[in-house]
Amino acid sequence: MTKPRFAVIRRFLRDRASFLGAAIVLGLVFCAIFAPVLAPHPNDIYDFHTANRLKPPSWDNPFGTDRMGSDLLSRMLFGARTTLTICVIAVGVACLIGIPIGLIAGYYRGWVSEMLMRIAEIFLSVPQIVLAIAISQTLGPSIENVVLSLAASFWPFWARLAYAETRSVKNEVFVESAIALGCSAPRVMLLHILPNIASPLIVRTSIGMGVTILNAAVLGFLGLGAPPTTPEWGRMINEAREFLPDAWWYVTCPGLAIFFVVMGFNLLGDGLRDILDPRIRRGGARRG
Amino acid sequence: MTTNAITNTGRLRMKTKMLRMVAAAAAMFLAPALASAQGRYVHANNSPFDNLDPHAVFDVGRAASRINMYDGLYRWVDNPPKMIPWLAESHTISPDGLTYTFKLRRGVKFHDGSEMTSADVVYTMERMLAMKKGPAGLFLGSIAPGTTQAPDPYTVVFTLKEPSAIFLSTVPEIQVVNSKLVQRNVKDGDHGEGWLSRNDAGTGSFALRRHDPAVGFIATRFKDHFYGWEPGKKWFDEIEFRSVLDVNTRVLGMIKGDYQGTDGYLPYDQIERLRKEPNIQILEDESMRVFYFAFNMSRPPFDNVHFRRALNHAFDYNGFINDILKGSVARNPSPNPNNLWGTPKDIKGYEFDLDKAKAELAKANIQLRPITINPLAGFPETEQASVLFANALRKIGIEAKVEASPWNIVSDRFRSKDTMHDMVPLWKSTYYADPNNWVGELFTTRHHGGRSTTWYSNPELDRITDEALRITDQAERTKLYDKAIRHIVDEAVGIFVYNTKWFGPYSSKIGGIRFSPIGSGQEMRWAYFK
Repeated sequence: MTKPRFAVIRRFLRDRASFLGAAIVLGLVFCAIFAPVLAPHPNDIYDFHTANRLKPPSWDNPFGTDRMGSDLLSRMLFGARTTLTICVIAVGVACLIGIPIGLIAGYYRGWVSEMLMRIAEIFLSVPQIVLAIAISQTLGPSIENVVLSLAASFWPFWARLAYAETRSVKNEVFVESAIALGCSAPRVMLLHILPNIASPLIVRTSIGMGVTILNAAVLGFLGLGAPPTTPEWGRMINEAREFLPDAWWYVTCPGLAIFFVVMGFNLLGDGLRDILDPRIRRGGARRG
Repeated sequence: MTTNAITNTGRLRMKTKMLRMVAAAAAMFLAPALASAQGRYVHANNSPFDNLDPHAVFDVGRAASRINMYDGLYRWVDNPPKMIPWLAESHTISPDGLTYTFKLRRGVKFHDGSEMTSADVVYTMERMLAMKKGPAGLFLGSIAPGTTQAPDPYTVVFTLKEPSAIFLSTVPEIQVVNSKLVQRNVKDGDHGEGWLSRNDAGTGSFALRRHDPAVGFIATRFKDHFYGWEPGKKWFDEIEFRSVLDVNTRVLGMIKGDYQGTDGYLPYDQIERLRKEPNIQILEDESMRVFYFAFNMSRPPFDNVHFRRALNHAFDYNGFINDILKGSVARNPSPNPNNLWGTPKDIKGYEFDLDKAKAELAKANIQLRPITINPLAGFPETEQASVLFANALRKIGIEAKVEASPWNIVSDRFRSKDTMHDMVPLWKSTYYADPNNWVGELFTTRHHGGRSTTWYSNPELDRITDEALRITDQAERTKLYDKAIRHIVDEAVGIFVYNTKWFGPYSSKIGGIRFSPIGSGQEMRWAYFK
């Protein structure tokens, strides 16, 4: 029984791209958790050394210093925390809203299902970033509002996916037999349908993380994200713009961090899809 | 085959014809643009021109519309500022110091061609007093509505309620509007503000051509301006003041040559960057513009003097002035500029010392709450100061939230004590060169909701500053202002940081920029292309 499972892991490890993605994501989590230990100057989050401002990278400050003279690497490591917090909570909330709605709409036919999906489509008809900007501009810049605006603009993606998958799984024999055995609707949805539609949802979530990080950075860049003094990558880029091109490190480092993390989540998502979704398995189907 | 060839040539002919038409149309559109480009000056402005009414708006960020399209009775020029006759040629003061009689210049034309007379000046004064906005604060205390007289078309008589030491120096702010034109456009008793906020009714050196609150304004040179235009100089035919909130865009636009000038109060990092550019000149001048944090004194815990002193000890003056601004400015420990008479020379001010701040906070013994700081978007210095301050405050246990807004929004918030944030970092510029411009306006009860940015009220300070306005002897006034300034510093009503130097970036093709701390070099009638 354990053999196929090992085969999955082996296949995952053999796929360099998805392994790289996983490594980047794990690296991000590691940085976020151990930021106080890893940062060369952990106090620089709340300590400014104005005499030291805009210094290029050196041994003491591997990524240089920012406009307030703080160590950029340290602030970026703490920024990983902000980023990870925002995207995990935002995506988590979006899943918690979207998946139940999709399950219910897919399981039942009729006006409830129609209404839920039309509401989701109304949300989808507004570009996600525009909606997020509108919400966080109205509520005022803070981390909570960023999370709220991203979650509010993101849940329909999960709702749509869960809806479509539920619809197709619902006609399978095992669901019909569960219903025939007299299982209650919540039991069928949670114990029989949800596990069977989990893999596309997991893939969507992984890719969604990347998109959320990007959108959180956009909000930060526009000044709608975390308030000043919070280390946040998007905001750092916004601050750094003023000092281009002389202080190149100031904008490059957070920019690269966003780039790698978003790429990491996307590669991971791709890799997970290859493994979890038998229909488009790369190893078998594509290579012949 | 032949038919094909024929149709092909036919098509070709059609194409050439079309191309010619397009070229002609393009030439028609481009020609005026090119012609005006010869004498066109584009200024990247740090604040939006949401309102052009000279009697509604009165600040440096939006001074360009007032100063270029309107004329006052007198005008401030140069540095140190001196007043020259402008719409008025001379004045006399009655022996009791209450009656000011101005003789107006003859033959001054408004932009619509009609002549400016004393009736327009009377209407202007009454309009300001009725609207109670912008510059009205300068006159509300000293002139009663209905008391301004016009005995003949070229004479205006102002009668003051009591002698005023500053009345004469505020005369340049009587920016005369075309009374007939404005009255025609009054709607529902709004004094024509709705109309004048988008149109111009002045005599100034430039006449409005186009205004868009989101973009800025364009004005063309008024050839019939009374001051005349010396022939042979390449005066600006057209000026455009475009609102460009982002500093980086302003700086890059200067380097690229899209803008010929921008504000003279850029962050010093940017000045150093512009200095390296061969097509840009940086003009330098001493200014009188004090950078400070205004406190909203109407809410606790700002009513507690120890709390306010704690705040004063928590700002890193040296780090801000010497490192972030690279020593380009000097510390100014009081609300009034050091280089003006009346400011005590021996005043010490507060120093950055977190231990002292903590001690003061312990003495205050109050319930702390999160404090809001409202820096100005488009002025990165105010944000950097706020962030620096917020971090120091966190170390003494005060949480501060920083949120930036554009200047027109911040200035609207000042009008009510409920909408103003707890602290606002900003500059107090010169509107007239008198100590009253600072200590007499920012902290006095009579200016609440107008020129006051603090909602501070103290009967003793009100008495001192009122008395200083009534007497004209400068030695006596110096003593009073000395006392008032010491009171403000001792009471810590605000954090006073530095006095600005003006670094005006202009295209090196431009000459004749005439800087005065009043208006900050935005008067374009003196400037020309070399």
